[in-house]
Amino acid sequence: MLANEKLILALPRGRIMDDVMPLVRHVGIEPEPAFFESGSRQLRFATNHPGLDVIMVRSFDIATIIAFGAAHLGVAGSDVLMEFDSREIYAPLDLDVGHCRIVVAEPEDLVKRDNPKRWSHVRIATKYPEITRRHFAARGVQAECVKLNGAVEIAPTLGLCERIVDLVSTGATLKANGLVEVEEIAKVSSRLAINRTASKTRSEEISDWIGKFRDAVHAVAA
Amino acid sequence: MTQTAHRALLPAGLTDVLPPDAAFEARVREGLVQRFSRYGYDRVKPPLIEFEDNLISGSGAATASQTFRLMDPVSQRMLGVRPDMTLQIARIATTRLADEPRPLRLSYAGEVLRVRGSSLRPERQFAQVGAEIIGSPSPEADAEVILMAYEALAGLGLAELTVDLGLPTLVPAICAALGIDLDEIGDRIRPALNQKDATAIAALGGGVAEALGALLDAVGPAASALKALNGLALPDDGAVGLQHLQDVVSLISRGAPGLKMTVDPVEIRGYEYHTGVTFTLFALGSRGELGRGGRYLAGNGEHGGEPATGMTLFLDAVIRALPAGETEQRLFLPAGSDSKTATRLREEGWIAIQALDEALPAEEAARAHGCSHILVNDEIRKITPAEKDT
Repeated sequence: MLANEKLILALPRGRIMDDVMPLVRHVGIEPEPAFFESGSRQLRFATNHPGLDVIMVRSFDIATIIAFGAAHLGVAGSDVLMEFDSREIYAPLDLDVGHCRIVVAEPEDLVKRDNPKRWSHVRIATKYPEITRRHFAARGVQAECVKLNGAVEIAPTLGLCERIVDLVSTGATLKANGLVEVEEIAKVSSRLAINRTASKTRSEEISDWIGKFRDAVHAVAA
Repeated sequence: MTQTAHRALLPAGLTDVLPPDAAFEARVREGLVQRFSRYGYDRVKPPLIEFEDNLISGSGAATASQTFRLMDPVSQRMLGVRPDMTLQIARIATTRLADEPRPLRLSYAGEVLRVRGSSLRPERQFAQVGAEIIGSPSPEADAEVILMAYEALAGLGLAELTVDLGLPTLVPAICAALGIDLDEIGDRIRPALNQKDATAIAALGGGVAEALGALLDAVGPAASALKALNGLALPDDGAVGLQHLQDVVSLISRGAPGLKMTVDPVEIRGYEYHTGVTFTLFALGSRGELGRGGRYLAGNGEHGGEPATGMTLFLDAVIRALPAGETEQRLFLPAGSDSKTATRLREEGWIAIQALDEALPAEEAARAHGCSHILVNDEIRKITPAEKDT
């Protein structure tokens, strides 16, 4: 059960943080100094707003944390929201950072002899089994997914599978592993994600923060 | 050991409810139905299993994928285990009770079974407690069930309740007025609206993006949402729906000033059979929804069904939101206690547990049975409770 009086904002660790922090600052949220210490084991941080705490978690976990109401709002990639596909999460605002794409890729030589129309079943290595299954099911192909949490691009050369579904931004990693993009599934960017129950039971506070983030997106873009 | 462990395993989403939780759940359930009966909602009890076509026909189609099915060896027909009780109540109202005066008020409490739980509520079997009012199209009927649900939840000790009101007919009305086939683009619109994804709606382009975008912007506290919706140019049937919603909102704000209201005109989830104002109940600090309901057409009469509205509380969610139930006081009667005294004490309301032998010293045995009191020489004495390792 969740009885936190404070609002909790979940932010993703890692590289994406550099893109997100300017927005967070623009909104007027300043986390305590420990937030920026790389060696810190702390996971929850106070901010200059007494009613708001920040937590730092892996970007893939943010959707789960918000769906269960453990955090009220957060920054999540649209890839993660698509994969999790929860009815308990609202994603009202595109933050216009963290742009990349989810694509299907396969080895170059396979492209030449492959006829996608004849597929009834494909085996695919991916971090996104749900997105992959839905995407292929929509065109009548059954996707058997091998779930990997990283280094997905290496799977075809190891004979684990022939194709992968993964994020690309520049395409350099694909190229380095002899893969080519054959299909784009979706464009990805970071979204402001909101817990549904919180958006109903604390609607004034939540709309206030959405408004501030919206202004920040416009200001940073300008 | 492994043998016992294997036998203890239950299928996903099913649980044994143990003491004291089972008794607490039963008290809450009966308390709710009793409260509904004070408003004149008479209790009915439909069966657990019905012919499949009854359960999933018409408005039941929405729950078809959630229905467990089995073959009836007697009739050789397919049966479904009810995934929801509302449709059963509608069936009763429009068949066996078709001649009763309208509006007909009915209440119910019972277990339902679903093929899948959700991530927030993994239960596949849970209890529904609800009430339906059949035969009235007026906003007063909607307000009555919402206020009754509110009072019932508040009466259980839940504070800071919010009701989120919806109007799932509005989006189809707007699309129809724009000449857009909702069946065609529904798969793109619905997820975007349910996620409040303004970017995806804007990407639709044209008049539909503008109209739906305006609806998205209106989502929020009831007062500001209604103001925003009133400023929009709506098709006639949309405007009628909005007026109905507005009437419901003002009736509720008069009836229950303490109930927070939000309006969400774009929410269309699990409401596929609703034909007017819908609502969902939330409590501050509890996870997910406590109950929901809304307007629908009961049965398939010559005029296309009777106007009806109702609500269902999800007992598992309500119980989770409540503070733990008070443990009742239990009295231990040592072996050889007078049975007349025991009867008298039970009539006075005590839970009185009779010792069958003297294998343990009386006070120790009392503690082992979780008793708070013990009878010594016809006198009730309090004992210090045992440390329970849970």
